[in-house]
Amino acid sequence: MKIKEIFVTSAFTENSVWRQILGICSALAVTNLMMNSLVMGLGVIFTLALSGFTISLIRNYIPKRIRMMVQTLIIASYVIIVDLFLKAFYPEISRALGPYVGLIITNCIIMGRAEAFAGKNSPFDSMIDGIGAGVGYTIVLLVIAFVREIFGFGTLFGFQVMGDWWTKWSIMVMAPSAFFMLAILIWIINTPKKQVG
Amino acid sequence: MASEKKLFRETRAYPVVFMLAITIIFIGILATIYQLTLERVESYRQTMLKKMVLSVFDLPVEDIDKNFDKYITLSNIDNLMYYEAVSDSILMGYCFPISGSGLWGTIQALLSVTPDFDKIINIDILEQNETPGLGGRITEDWFKNQFQGKTLLIDDEPQLFSMIPENEKAKSNEICQITGATASSKAVVDMIYKNVVKYSPKLRAE
Repeated sequence: MKIKEIFVTSAFTENSVWRQILGICSALAVTNLMMNSLVMGLGVIFTLALSGFTISLIRNYIPKRIRMMVQTLIIASYVIIVDLFLKAFYPEISRALGPYVGLIITNCIIMGRAEAFAGKNSPFDSMIDGIGAGVGYTIVLLVIAFVREIFGFGTLFGFQVMGDWWTKWSIMVMAPSAFFMLAILIWIINTPKKQVG
Repeated sequence: MASEKKLFRETRAYPVVFMLAITIIFIGILATIYQLTLERVESYRQTMLKKMVLSVFDLPVEDIDKNFDKYITLSNIDNLMYYEAVSDSILMGYCFPISGSGLWGTIQALLSVTPDFDKIINIDILEQNETPGLGGRITEDWFKNQFQGKTLLIDDEPQLFSMIPENEKAKSNEICQITGATASSKAVVDMIYKNVVKYSPKLRAE
C-alpha cells in the first residue's frame, strides 16, 4: 500500500512537471516526436530510480554542506553509464539518440527528487519515488509529443496517420508550439483543483 | 570507537575526505566500464564507417569486411584522404569525408562522387549534434536522397546549391531545406561546396 502511495504521489498528485514545474527544458526540447520523447522518458526513469536509490543509501554519511556536489556526481555517473552501455551494446539506439542521453544530467527533476525525497527516505522507497516521478514526466512528454507530432508531421511514432491532404503545421515542429502546448496542459490539469485562493 | 568516528564527522576535513573518496569510487567505476566497452565501441565504429562507405557507392552492405576489402581502397593525395571504389577493374568513383559547422557542433559526412566529379553519387551523415526533430532531420532519407545525381561542377566550377522550402519541387541546382532548420540544411550544402573545391582539382588530375 505504501509503495503504491509513494508512486501515485510522485507520478500524479505531485507530478514534477504540472505541479512542480520542473524538467521543463527537456519537455520543451524533445517533444516534437513521440519516439524521442519515449526514449528520453525511459532514460530519465532509469536515472531517477538508480540515483534515488544510491543517494538514499549513503544519505546519512553525506555532509550536509556538500550534498549537492555529491548528488551531481552520482547522477552524472549514472547518466554516463547509460551512455556507455548504449554505445557498446545498442549502438543503433545510441546513434539515434545523439546528444539526448547526456542531456538527462541537466534534468532538474532528478536533482529535485534527490533533494526532496532520497535524502530523507529509505533506498527502496526512493527508488519507487524515482520511478514514479519518471513515469509522471514521461506521460507529460508523450501527451505533448502526441499533439505536436500529429499536427506537425501527420505521423505517430513515425507511422503516417494523416493522409496526403494533411497540411503540416510547421509551428508544431518548432520550439514555440512546445511552450503553448505545455502551458495549455498545465492549465487544463490544474484548473479543477484550484484549492488555494 | 563510535564516538571517535562521530567526532571525525564533525571536523572540517570530513566533507573534503568524503568528496574525495566518493569521487574516486565513482570515477573508478566509470573508468572500468569505459575500458571494458572501449574495444566494442571502437570495432562498431569501424564497421559503421565501412558500411557507410559501401552504402554511399550503392555496394552490397552484407559481409561488410569482405566487401569492403573487395571494392574499396583507402588512398591519400597531398594529405587529403579518400576512398576509391573499383568494381570489375572499373573506377566507380571517389568518396571522402566532409565536415563543417552545423548549428551546435561539427557535422561529419561522407560524400561519394563520380570519377570525373561530374555528379554526386550519394551522401550520408556520419555524426551530427543538431537539434533533434529539427536540424537532426538532416539524417532523414528524403533530405540526403535529394543530393543523388546532382551536378557538381558547372564549367569546372563547383556549384553552390540554392535553398528552397521543404516539399517544393527542386530544380537541378536547388535543394529543399528542412523547415525550422535552415542553418543545419545550409551547413550541409556549404560543406559539400567547400570540400569539392578542395578535392576536385587534385582528384580530377589523377
